[in-house]
Amino acid sequence: MYIGKVVRVIALFDPSSRLRPLKFNWSGRLIHVKEVTYTWQSRGGEGAIYHFSLTDGDALYELSYDSRTLLWKLENIEA
Amino acid sequence: MEKTIICIDMDAFFASVEQRTDPRLRGRPVAVIGSGHRTIITTASYEARRFGVKTGMTIYEAKRLCPSIIFVVGNNDKYTHTCRELEKIYRALTPYVEIYSIDEAFLDITGLEHLYGGPERVARLIKGRVREGFGIPCTAGIGPNVLLAKLACDMAKPDGIKRIRQEDAEAILENLPVGELWGVGQQTEKRLKAMGITTCGGLGRASASILRARFGIIGERLKAMGMGVWARPLITSEGEPDSIGHSTTLPEDIWNRPDIEAHIMRLSEMVGKRARDYGYIGKKVSITIRYPDFETFTRQKTLQMPTNDTHWIYIHALSLLDRIRLKDRIRLIGVRLAGLVKDHGQISLFLEDEKRNALLKAVDRIKDKYGDSSVTWAASLRCSIHDHKGVISPAWRPSGVRLY
Repeated sequence: MYIGKVVRVIALFDPSSRLRPLKFNWSGRLIHVKEVTYTWQSRGGEGAIYHFSLTDGDALYELSYDSRTLLWKLENIEA
Repeated sequence: MEKTIICIDMDAFFASVEQRTDPRLRGRPVAVIGSGHRTIITTASYEARRFGVKTGMTIYEAKRLCPSIIFVVGNNDKYTHTCRELEKIYRALTPYVEIYSIDEAFLDITGLEHLYGGPERVARLIKGRVREGFGIPCTAGIGPNVLLAKLACDMAKPDGIKRIRQEDAEAILENLPVGELWGVGQQTEKRLKAMGITTCGGLGRASASILRARFGIIGERLKAMGMGVWARPLITSEGEPDSIGHSTTLPEDIWNRPDIEAHIMRLSEMVGKRARDYGYIGKKVSITIRYPDFETFTRQKTLQMPTNDTHWIYIHALSLLDRIRLKDRIRLIGVRLAGLVKDHGQISLFLEDEKRNALLKAVDRIKDKYGDSSVTWAASLRCSIHDHKGVISPAWRPSGVRLY
């Protein structure tokens, strides 16, 4: 399901994985990231957008981080 | 010195990426499809292939063969990003890399093998790095030329490593059907069969002069392929493109002239932008039309002055459309700019042209800065930008003009 909403994220800037979301708020709940399953980049004009597929053990989420606006978005949820 | 070529082929690439992305898909029959409702299977996982599901099938055919199949709409950004990252893994080992397609590459490691402990060790190293970085499987074929490396790769699928040495090639090729050879298509296979040649062994023993008489300049190449000695060099840099084109299979068949014009406008914009990005102008504009029954045809015209101006590509494409009496609704439209030459930025004599060039440059800069959908031509607004989420071309490469 497409969401496309800006969300609050706690992330780790780690030299080994570079950037890794750990927790985020959605719909009044704090979602704990259990596994980042895939990462990729796309272009949004001049800036890169970093995409993260992740799971909390139940649902599959896609978060994106826009390097131009420095905002995180929850793109999709697949329950 | 005998060459050492490695062919790396990602196993069921798009499906493997999707199974990696969603843990619930792992070990289950999965097919990656386009976003339109009449899309086809672009890749099937090995679990789906066991039921007979193949690339190119409709979703209905796939469902009939495998009722439990799961369809996943492909994500081109994910695959193109992965392909770019894979290229970095290859280039860390050798500078001689040919990215043959989005999921296939050839590496020339001649003279470098000993640094890594032999070709098989290089292959294992690559497979390990791909698995570690992306969690997806690939197969490596090793041979003295691209033909045998590719054959070894095909024989080792999935997730394997195989080496064919030159001295083993004759025995392997002797009874191998010619159609299994990389580069021998169905038509060539049919023509060879008509000559009584069905195996690679037979092809290698065939008279070069007879093959040349039947197949022209590729006749001798076919003989060399049959013998397993065809030494096609790696194409490590892209040559000058012949043409730049885009096509789109429409979400619904259309008949209405304004709808057709809107799609031609959008395709002209994509073609013009790409030509300008890479500094080409073209002397020929063509449009391709496909009817629902898959009858497909192309109409082309030669321009008095070469161009890469979106407006003129559109106007010439429309003039080609005017000459066609459509007999049915349209399933697919394509626009192509051909006869490309480098644009040396000739100074225009007319103020109007100067203004147009300045406008195009401004639009291109906005698109580069804020993304392709940030600004567009009003004439293309009738077609939704979300329509264009088709299947990525297998010819996609991480660099060069063939980016789409």
